[in-house]
Amino acid sequence: MKKIAALTLLIAVSAIAQEHVTVIRNATVLTITNGRIEHGSVVMRGSKIAAVGPDSSISVPAGAAVIDAAGKFVMPGIIDSHSHTAVEGAVNEGSLANTGMVRIADVMTAEEIAAYRQLAGGTTTALILHGSANSIGGQSQIAKWKWGKPVSEWPIKDAPRTIKFALGENPKSANFRPPEGVPRQYPATRMGVEEVIRTSFTDARDYLAKWDEYEAKQKRGEPAIPPRRDLLMETMADILRGRIDVHSHCYRSDEILMLLNVAHDMGFHIKTLQHVLEGYKVAKEIAAAGTGAGTFIDWWGFKAEAYDAIPYNIALMTRSGVLTSVNSDSAELARRLNQDAAKAMKYGGLTADEALKLCTINPAKELGIDTRVGSIEVGKDADVVIWTGDPLSTYSRVETTFIEGEIYFDRSRDLEQRQQLAREKADRLKKEAEETAREKKDTKGRKKNG
Amino acid sequence: MKHGSLAALVCLVLSVPANGDAPGVYAITNGVVHPVSGPEISGGVVVIRVGLIESVGAGVAIPADATTIDAKGGHVYPGLVDAQTSAGFASPAPRPRRGEATTTTTERRESAPAINPTPAFIALESLKLSDDDADDWRRIGVTTIVTAPTTDIFNGQSVVLNLGSGEPAGNAIRSPAAMQISFNPRRRSTFPDSLMGVIAYLRQTFLDAQQHSAALAVYQRNPAGLTRPESSRSLDALAPVMRRDLPIVFLADSEEMIRRAQAIAREFNLRYIISGARQGYRMAGDLRDVPVLVSVKWPAPPATKEDREEQPLRVIRDRQLAPTTPSVLAKSGVSFALVSGAGKAGDYFRGIRKAIDNGLSADEALRATTLVPARIFGVDRQLGTLERGKIANVIISDKPIFAKDAKVMRVLVDGREVRLAEKEEAETAAASPAEGTWNLTVRMPSGSVSIVVTLHVENGRVTGNFSGDRGSGDIRDGTFDDSTLEFTISVKSDAEAGDWTFHGTVRDSNITGNVTTNLGTFEFSGSKSR
Amino acid sequence: MAKRVLSCFVAALLSMTLYAQSVIPNNPGVKPTFAIRNATIYPVTAAPIPNGTIVFSRGVITAVGTNVAVPSDAIVIDGSGLSVYPGLIDAGDKVGLTEISSVAGTVDTTEVGDLNPNARAEIAINPHSNLIPVTRANGITAVLSVPEGGIISGQSALIQLAGWTPAEMVIKSNAGMHIRFPRLRSAPLADQPQEEEAEKELRKTYTKDLDKLRDLFRDAQAYAKAAAAHAHRFNRDTILEALVPVVEGREPAMIEANLARDIRAALEFIDEFKLKAILVGAQDVKPLVPELKRRNIPVILGPILELPPREDDPYDLLFANAAALHEAGIKFAIRSNDDHNARNLPYHAAFCAAFGLPKDEALKAITIYPAQILGVDDRIGSLETGKIANIIVTDGDPLEIVTNVKRVFIGGEDITLQTRHTQLYEKFKARP
Repeated sequence: MKKIAALTLLIAVSAIAQEHVTVIRNATVLTITNGRIEHGSVVMRGSKIAAVGPDSSISVPAGAAVIDAAGKFVMPGIIDSHSHTAVEGAVNEGSLANTGMVRIADVMTAEEIAAYRQLAGGTTTALILHGSANSIGGQSQIAKWKWGKPVSEWPIKDAPRTIKFALGENPKSANFRPPEGVPRQYPATRMGVEEVIRTSFTDARDYLAKWDEYEAKQKRGEPAIPPRRDLLMETMADILRGRIDVHSHCYRSDEILMLLNVAHDMGFHIKTLQHVLEGYKVAKEIAAAGTGAGTFIDWWGFKAEAYDAIPYNIALMTRSGVLTSVNSDSAELARRLNQDAAKAMKYGGLTADEALKLCTINPAKELGIDTRVGSIEVGKDADVVIWTGDPLSTYSRVETTFIEGEIYFDRSRDLEQRQQLAREKADRLKKEAEETAREKKDTKGRKKNG
Repeated sequence: MKHGSLAALVCLVLSVPANGDAPGVYAITNGVVHPVSGPEISGGVVVIRVGLIESVGAGVAIPADATTIDAKGGHVYPGLVDAQTSAGFASPAPRPRRGEATTTTTERRESAPAINPTPAFIALESLKLSDDDADDWRRIGVTTIVTAPTTDIFNGQSVVLNLGSGEPAGNAIRSPAAMQISFNPRRRSTFPDSLMGVIAYLRQTFLDAQQHSAALAVYQRNPAGLTRPESSRSLDALAPVMRRDLPIVFLADSEEMIRRAQAIAREFNLRYIISGARQGYRMAGDLRDVPVLVSVKWPAPPATKEDREEQPLRVIRDRQLAPTTPSVLAKSGVSFALVSGAGKAGDYFRGIRKAIDNGLSADEALRATTLVPARIFGVDRQLGTLERGKIANVIISDKPIFAKDAKVMRVLVDGREVRLAEKEEAETAAASPAEGTWNLTVRMPSGSVSIVVTLHVENGRVTGNFSGDRGSGDIRDGTFDDSTLEFTISVKSDAEAGDWTFHGTVRDSNITGNVTTNLGTFEFSGSKSR
Repeated sequence: MAKRVLSCFVAALLSMTLYAQSVIPNNPGVKPTFAIRNATIYPVTAAPIPNGTIVFSRGVITAVGTNVAVPSDAIVIDGSGLSVYPGLIDAGDKVGLTEISSVAGTVDTTEVGDLNPNARAEIAINPHSNLIPVTRANGITAVLSVPEGGIISGQSALIQLAGWTPAEMVIKSNAGMHIRFPRLRSAPLADQPQEEEAEKELRKTYTKDLDKLRDLFRDAQAYAKAAAAHAHRFNRDTILEALVPVVEGREPAMIEANLARDIRAALEFIDEFKLKAILVGAQDVKPLVPELKRRNIPVILGPILELPPREDDPYDLLFANAAALHEAGIKFAIRSNDDHNARNLPYHAAFCAAFGLPKDEALKAITIYPAQILGVDDRIGSLETGKIANIIVTDGDPLEIVTNVKRVFIGGEDITLQTRHTQLYEKFKARP
């Protein structure tokens, strides 16, 4: 027994000994939660941050890889609280008004170059959401862009379960024509959207009652037929039980209030409002509900419900006490969320610290993963990005992106790989052309003989 | 009626059994016999009696009542088994691929006739396989197929079908053979219209099947006081699947799709087979416990160089590694069959040969088209080898069956010889439509100018020469991409001297277009000389 | 109190005119003499002037430098700590032509059909669009407003972002003929090719589109000759008429092509018709640099903040193009090609600077270079005596997001920085 324990200890120790240690020195470290450190160091041991502080206070462990980041900035990996990257097939199961049974987790794909490009913009983590075609969409997935690893390693395993709701023009199919022969779908108004959500939870309560009844009968030893296990209703029930966080797409202030009311009536919580372009009009109410907001800074006027979108939205919500993040909803924008954060300084006067939080610790809190990511703190995941300069400057770019202590993007490595990949492509195409020519010749030869 | 009699006529002409209806007694002699169950036997004899194999060996006596088939230097094999086809069912409407816009042609195309398979759909009961269709397989030595539709999600229960004469029912070796499932989203706005919807739909359906069985069990034990469960053909049909009596065939090509199929199978403890498996080369280690039907319809490169160069390395790499899947699986000890999949019968052997070119041995290829598929579908006691007592599906080829120019000479199914109609092999590499000699007329202000050009096309590059009213010489800068032909000639006569660049569109044997000269641009037209 | 009254007034205005601009101009039509002193002045065409003075009067710049006499009637602005730049120029967007993208009734960018050379942006510019104040508030004082869609989309207009009528806004009408060069596919082949028949159809459509374009240009050439020969007794054709200045090389053909194959085809087309051309978009421009250089064709790059077209493309493909053109000595400008967010034009340029383009070149790519390419550098694009007083005053580098634009002058008029956005901001900041 003792022997086994000792052996286990030995294995544990050797595992630690093998852990890779990287130290970034001499950088401006933007910790997010504890201010900025000039001439600071970050020590990454294995997948975690082991130490952070002024260079003078940090000793470099033996065998550590040391990166001199003089003149450079280090910040935590950016978190995108609204992504549709790395999804195979449609992001919408658009056939029904409530498709809470479908799961993004089932269809994630690692063959998505957008993930790599986002790493090159310092983004490491995202909430991958179902689309907004229906009032209640599918279950979303929180994941890291572990480009090059099998997709099974991308999700953050213990992250909260989440689901997408959607209000307004999209679920009411305002800008969408059904295919020929398919009748217009319900709902077509914001009234209908509200009804769909309310009814879904009314049904879920009935569903739970049916199971309670069955279980009671079983307990009493009475014969009972098990009810149907309905994946949609199970999802709704889990929302009611607080086991799934709701992130809802919305634009107009009236529908924001509507959702907060329905949630209140039905007894569940809205974790965040997504897009929430008119959030500034009802910021008090959002703050009172303890609901977060993930929004764009720029996008306005692309549809009627976005006509009152203003770049000051983030500032107004932040000042009203709403936990706010800036997110992308776009594989392009997800490469530069730091810049959208900077715009919140320009429009409404957030401080640099507040701005940086918009794409780091705030979304981490909104997604319920802030104990792991979102700031440079000892014990957190070593998701760290080295920038050539201040990430709030438009002239800065990413040098290196780490996830859990491993390099997933590095500019110099990228430049080298370009050549290699181009060579491989040329070689393969050449080989293929030769093969095709040979095959053609063979076929011709056969025809002559035949 | 008209259609029916025509079919009957075709049947008469094409596939008259050699000895009327009754399967006779045959002795196949003088060939190299490949029993698959053992080493090859030079000069071996295969005796067939009333549809079954009576004996196989070197020194086997030829029965007195036997008709001798002299295989004279040829090769004798068990009939091949193509374990994944959709023969007998309309081919599905093509789907746009990821990243490709739906083109108008695809949209306009009528979708397949309304078979709406469900778990309860029995392929055997609905398949319509004309003798003509069957001949496509028999001609290449395939005497048994596994078939089911592929258009929906639950495609119903497939059948192992012998390609003999007569009604399908008489030819079924095993039905149901497997429950066939594809990850096909339905048309937009019909649940499930996304891949994630399909997976949720499968998960819910299997849960329902479990619940259905459980409910029935409770009810049947003692119905008193209980609400009667609804009856459901679909869920009843899934009962043997849930009991692991009937395997599922998941159509899955990419590694990620295969893993999705595996996750569902694990979640519900299902017995399953993977079909397609293009990216099997990436995950052989995780396929050791799963029978795999590797489709040999290998991805082909785009026709033009520009398209090829624009494609991602990922796709090119995959396209080139896909044909190594069989050899990689063979090395890892995975049980796999080679199937035509979504391909045409005519492409089956080309695909198999490509697998052989990529490291698979001919012996392994033979097992993967005979014994292994028979074993995967549980019919290896009847099919897959030349052994006493097995069904007399026997083929004779003039050369080893997978050799490049091998030809199948004789085919016996259920001990009856099938006479194959001679059919010209489809032109596989038709000459380019631009290839040949063209008589062109250019309409110039001064009158018509005649020019004869002879063109040779290779990989989109056009070479050749010209002669006529404006001198002669070689053409240059020639390109052709299926319809657009371009080339330049140098004209040396007087005012028109300079480069003439032809830009035309080829339709059948005609071409129309414009010539750009230093005098301006003029129309030209022409036709190919026969 | 005053504030409260103002917000009520603003609210009333909002409810009256939802889609029309409701900002109140500062001093409409007044173009007095201004002098900005003690500022760092960036003329763009010359070295920055620390502690400089710029004077402009009646809409025109009258003096720039350190030893500049300030006229006695001048309104003096203390520019301490501030920087003065020429107004930025967006070399291609849709400002003025669109209001709410999904509401067809508010969008005038895209005419029906493939060949619309006669469609002219200035006809449909809405001077009261809410996009105009939003764009100029970030320092953009002129944009090339471009029709889109089809093969020949129409003719753009270079407009300044202030004025009561389209005519007052137009700096140059018929600035260019916009041709979206036919493409085989809407996006490069990303997966295995589709079935053969669809591929054939694709090629057929592509060839047909090319033929259509060529045919129309040939017709236009013939038309131009015929029109010249029989100036009086001649049946006019609006479509061909619109192309005459293009085939005669007087108006630039602005040809949008992005993939190398399409740019090559576009160059052949340019050669064939001997066009005065500007290449637009040009995502794959790098391998074609020698070809462009040889023909002396300028390029309008952008949008820069867009994903590269192919999976295998370097992540910075679009960021790095400007540096390559600069090194090769090819004239280029940067456009946003945006509408609501054309205000982000300077950040498109900044990304190029982050990836190798010198910072001063990035600034030129949105000031003097577009002016040169569009043939209006005698009037706008730099701070020089005699040029139109399109001037912005900032608290820093306008290519930095965190920089604020403090003052905007267009045609010498002091332009309000109010926008629909600031109005809503003020209104809801005051919500009790």
